[in-house]
Amino acid sequence: MTRDEVFEEINLIFRDVFDDDSLVIVDSTNSEDIEDWDSLEHINLVVAMEKRFNMKFNIKEVGKLQNVGEMVDLIMSRM
Amino acid sequence: MLNEYFYEDLEVGKKESFPVTVTEKMLDAFRDITGDDNPLHCDEKFAKEEGYDGRVAYGMLTASFLSTLAGVYLPGRYSLIQSVEIKFAKPVYIGDELTVTGEITETNDTCGLIFLKVAITDGNGRKVCRAKMQIGVKKRDDQR
Repeated sequence: MTRDEVFEEINLIFRDVFDDDSLVIVDSTNSEDIEDWDSLEHINLVVAMEKRFNMKFNIKEVGKLQNVGEMVDLIMSRM
Repeated sequence: MLNEYFYEDLEVGKKESFPVTVTEKMLDAFRDITGDDNPLHCDEKFAKEEGYDGRVAYGMLTASFLSTLAGVYLPGRYSLIQSVEIKFAKPVYIGDELTVTGEITETNDTCGLIFLKVAITDGNGRKVCRAKMQIGVKKRDDQR
């Protein structure tokens, strides 16, 4: 998958987790930009990404992610 | 009995179950705690006029046994409920002997989560409540 394709899949995950079909994310999107992005929803994002991309993360590395771009980079690094 | 499963002790397919009988005292206590004095739950005459067999137990009272399921049985001591989705399929009445059963359908190693499919059945084996739960479970090496 290209980075753009991964990004698009992650956007779909965000829409599903935050129950908002109009949500559009960019590389710099972070928890300050999405009101409901709290620690619980961060867990739900991680679970959804692991399922979608069929990969396992380390809790420390996902805890350090600062924005969407870093999420995409982490996934790309595992492909 | 308080179970003490750690995340590492659990796997998909693991089940726990316990019985509970709904009493008038429970309904009255729930009303006192929540202030929900809707007559469907408090007034037998009204409930029968509405077509029910008697006072209908609060759905959220039945749902409260999900807390017992996670906090006492599966996983027990090291449990943190994160989310619950619940459907109330049939009315529950005073005297109903319920069985609460939870089964692990999925686990997540990264976040230390279990996902439960829960069924609450009455004495006739009918499902009165169905639910899905997401529960955090302490790992043996957690330092929290």
